Amino acid sequence: MDNTFELSVIVNGTSYQETVDPRILLSDFLRDGLGLTGTHVGCEHGVCGACTVLLNGAAVRSCLIFAPQVHQQEIMTVEGLGTVDDLHPLQEAFREAHALQCGFCTPGFLTTLLPWLEENPNPTEDEIREAISGNLCRCTGYQHIIDAVKLAAEKMN
Amino acid sequence: MTYKVIGKRVKRVEDPRLLTGGALFVGDVNLPNMLYAAFFRSDYAHARIKSIDTSQAKLIPGVVGVYTAEDMGEAWEPGPPLVSPPPTLEDVVFNSRRQVPLVKDKVKHAGEIIAVVVAESRYIAEDAVEEIYVDYEPLPAVTDLEKCLEPGHTLVHDDLDTNLAAHLVQNKGDYEAAKKEADLVLKRKFKLDRGAAVAMENRGIVVDWDQKSQHLMVWDATQSPIPIRNGMAARLGLRTHQVRVVAPFVGGGFGPKIMMFYAEEMVLPWLTMKLNRPVKWIEDRKENFYATTQEREQIQEVEMALSKEGRILGIKQKIIHDTGAFNPYGLTTPLNTQSHSMGPYDVQNYNSEVFVVFTNKTIVTPVRGAGRPQGIYIVERMLDIACKDLGLDSREVRRLNFIPKDAFPYNHEIIDQAFAELVLDSGNYLPAYEKALEKIEYEKFIKEDQPRLRAEGKYVGIGVVPFIETTGVGPYEGARVAIEPSGKISAATGVGTQGQSHMTSFAQIIAEELGVEVEDVSLVSGDTAEIHWGTGTFASRGAVVAGNAVLAAASDVRKKVLKLASKILETPEDELELDGGLVRVADIPDKSISLGELAVLANPFRGAVEPGTEPGLESTKYFGPAYGATAFGVHGMILEVDPETMMIKIHKYVTVEDCGTMLNPLVVEGQIHGGVSMGIGNAYYEKLHYDENAQLLNASLADYLIPTSAEMPHIEVYHQNTPAPNNKLGTKGVGEAGAIPVPAAFAQALENALPDFDLEIIETPLSPNRLYELLYKSEE
Amino acid sequence: MKVEGEHLFTGTQQQVWDLFRNTEVMAAALPGTKKMELVGENTYEAIMNVRVGPVAGEFSGQLVLSNEDHPNSYTMTVDGRGKPGFLKGVGDVILADQGANQTLMGYSGEVQIGGKLAAVGQRLIDTVAKSIIGQAFETLDNALAERENAESEGREADYHQSSEGDYAATVAKDLIKNVLKRKGSEEA
Repeated sequence: MDNTFELSVIVNGTSYQETVDPRILLSDFLRDGLGLTGTHVGCEHGVCGACTVLLNGAAVRSCLIFAPQVHQQEIMTVEGLGTVDDLHPLQEAFREAHALQCGFCTPGFLTTLLPWLEENPNPTEDEIREAISGNLCRCTGYQHIIDAVKLAAEKMN
Repeated sequence: MTYKVIGKRVKRVEDPRLLTGGALFVGDVNLPNMLYAAFFRSDYAHARIKSIDTSQAKLIPGVVGVYTAEDMGEAWEPGPPLVSPPPTLEDVVFNSRRQVPLVKDKVKHAGEIIAVVVAESRYIAEDAVEEIYVDYEPLPAVTDLEKCLEPGHTLVHDDLDTNLAAHLVQNKGDYEAAKKEADLVLKRKFKLDRGAAVAMENRGIVVDWDQKSQHLMVWDATQSPIPIRNGMAARLGLRTHQVRVVAPFVGGGFGPKIMMFYAEEMVLPWLTMKLNRPVKWIEDRKENFYATTQEREQIQEVEMALSKEGRILGIKQKIIHDTGAFNPYGLTTPLNTQSHSMGPYDVQNYNSEVFVVFTNKTIVTPVRGAGRPQGIYIVERMLDIACKDLGLDSREVRRLNFIPKDAFPYNHEIIDQAFAELVLDSGNYLPAYEKALEKIEYEKFIKEDQPRLRAEGKYVGIGVVPFIETTGVGPYEGARVAIEPSGKISAATGVGTQGQSHMTSFAQIIAEELGVEVEDVSLVSGDTAEIHWGTGTFASRGAVVAGNAVLAAASDVRKKVLKLASKILETPEDELELDGGLVRVADIPDKSISLGELAVLANPFRGAVEPGTEPGLESTKYFGPAYGATAFGVHGMILEVDPETMMIKIHKYVTVEDCGTMLNPLVVEGQIHGGVSMGIGNAYYEKLHYDENAQLLNASLADYLIPTSAEMPHIEVYHQNTPAPNNKLGTKGVGEAGAIPVPAAFAQALENALPDFDLEIIETPLSPNRLYELLYKSEE
Repeated sequence: MKVEGEHLFTGTQQQVWDLFRNTEVMAAALPGTKKMELVGENTYEAIMNVRVGPVAGEFSGQLVLSNEDHPNSYTMTVDGRGKPGFLKGVGDVILADQGANQTLMGYSGEVQIGGKLAAVGQRLIDTVAKSIIGQAFETLDNALAERENAESEGREADYHQSSEGDYAATVAKDLIKNVLKRKGSEEA
């Protein structure tokens, strides 16, 4: 392939140097290129939020970004939040409150909430509803997710 | 000491992997040497194909092949019929037409697949799809449910002389006689539309044919891996042991991921066997709107005969149901509508005629609710209208008509979707109804809050709707439970999991039966290598049918444990107890043996085995109910509508649900919340807009609106428990309950909120635009 | 989707009638036209690049003029298809002499779209269609004026086709104007 891009990026603290097709979406690069399949693709038009990752600490839609656009930047995906044996308090809270059913939208909620909770350590229910209104979930009706966020806020402070 | 864990709010064992991005969904499957498929789909809903030019597509570097129906040769055949009409019904007209892998001659709905490209990457495959040129002869599209049955109308299927897919009549008692006694006969024509399931995960399939071992491995985001395995093996001329289908974690099913034998499920196995390389296809969201099944329109002419006290004397109904271009799933949805058109009421006379018609749109198969919401909608609306006409209190009329609690099992005599007579197994409607009225503070709202808020210029209204839900239908499911030498339990069942928490709630059943921790039970659902027989996850049946199979298998293992332990410990069985992974003598706690040790002893390497003993501590059992378990409930809502923007805000939402024994209340609540969110979507935000060319005009999440957290109210869930008499767990299904009564509750509440407008709502969905039209028109 | 409106041209009714039958002018007027050619009596074949929001691609199709009542009215039928989907339309065009070298052109028709264009572009189509028509009229006005100037100066008329970039920029501006109008903003 003659048209390629030499991408340099840090993901979850690890440095990667990869040769990529310049039009590859960040979501596909993370999932297929790096094997980090925790970031999910629900719509590829920026509406559902399942593909949300953190770019230099801010929540973005990886389905709307080309991989070369994150050259020399820092990404965090859900895999960087915690492990099966060492869940982050936010992940613990989701589990306790039964805030996930099929789990497909969950990584996007977690990455969206992480920076938001840091800035809003004591949110009201209305504030939480608005904060997650850009993430779609078809299974839970959002109620247990809101419970989880309240619980997480307590755990994290 | 008895160990109780059924009914507890146990944390899910599957969560840590899902929360850390470590759970396998079909899109995550990545195999060496894998190819990617992309499909050329028809833009036209109805058109003859004059020619297909794939020459340019084939030239793109990285493209391995481009195939059409012609290339499939003898391997080309339509999908299998999945559900036939009930053999127990007489005089049924049923014209079976099923979807095809790749279109030959004529396209019958927009999105049908005309060609498939296989390439080294998805990106290259999609580039190649753009280079395919198809010459079409467009034809008029069949879209109108009523006009399409007129003689001379364009036909969807040329080999039929009609657009009629099915016709049947069901009858109970004598409606015409009942009508003669009526003080009031109401007639209304309803237009009911539902929508797409919109699971967050689109469909997908990965297939891998290994030439050397002559084995086909399939990962499929399906609700029914076992029928898929069976059907694929049959189509490919393979034995069932040559095909393994795994439904990994599936991101939401809601109906359309059932064993459809979608075109993609027919094309990909053919490709992998032809190319001898793994092939992957993951649907994108736009494709999902065209190519994944959905529910759409029903037109119903309903007649209800009542006494002046509001007692229902009879119901008569004509349903026209849109099945789309093909009808592989039989009559399931309209039969469900019939089963629910009498609601929870004692209706002695019922006559219902169903016409199912073909149109040039996507195939219709059940979406959460599966025809039940439409039945509940019309009966509740007719009662609301009757109350207005007769000047009666809507609560009194419900109370008057409920089937009384000593009348169960109550036989409605018509045939339901499970081919059995519609028998409501148990019920206790009145207390549930009173509880809902109490929790929503009905009296206080009507007498104090509503008048006060009206005086402030606010339009607030209340709606309370009772409903039933047929659940737990057969034919059967199976489960295998085994104690491993480690002392841990492994189990398997054939129902796939798309978020229903089977891995936890079924583990709870096993844990209680065998006295172990829930975390020590590892349950696999959705892998055909683990269990050979089963149907799938649909119709709110997992907990009832698979759950009871799990109980039966676990109980059998318990019997084997006790028998063997009794011998080893030289103690009678009734003095033994199972707790903490051990079998103990009741009053001599030191005298015990672990389950793991027993498992080893049950599978000796040497020595004689008593004749008639099965090795190990393992059991496989099946459960098949004679008829289903009828769950029921009541939803109440208070909403406010802005008379200028028509935007609504739900102030209070209350549900009382009775699904018999709950396996895990956290899970039940989650199912209710999720169901209500789909119900709210169906009532006020979601609509598939098709135009006269059967073109879908809103095929994206930006334009097809599902509720976000901002649209959802806080939902209060209250439980009642009327145990199901016909299964040992006493449990009933609850997966679809949340979605069923919502549109009817909306209609009642909106009419109640806007009394000055003389509004009569006999359609669904509504929307801000549509409500505006209805109000504006009713003012003129 | 209904498409209707009117436009006041500076020119005689005959001049406007002729303008619409000048293939070169029409090709220049419709933004994105790569080719337009008269292939039969009153039948044109055209290839156009179409962009509606996120949906873009090449369309090829036929344009047929019929029911001609020279120089007062005619019917135009369009049938095009391409990667972004398909488009069918039929419309009536009526010319009316307003005196003082002015002609009023009225048009009224139905357009049906399908494929990606319909699925994703549906809610933008209205504004985009009006924008294309608006730009076309602007070009035609200029063409008419240029023709007059050329005649009076005794030279060949020189027609410009606006670039795709200009076209896209104008459509974007029109979309924004539409949003601002709905929000009640005075700055349009």
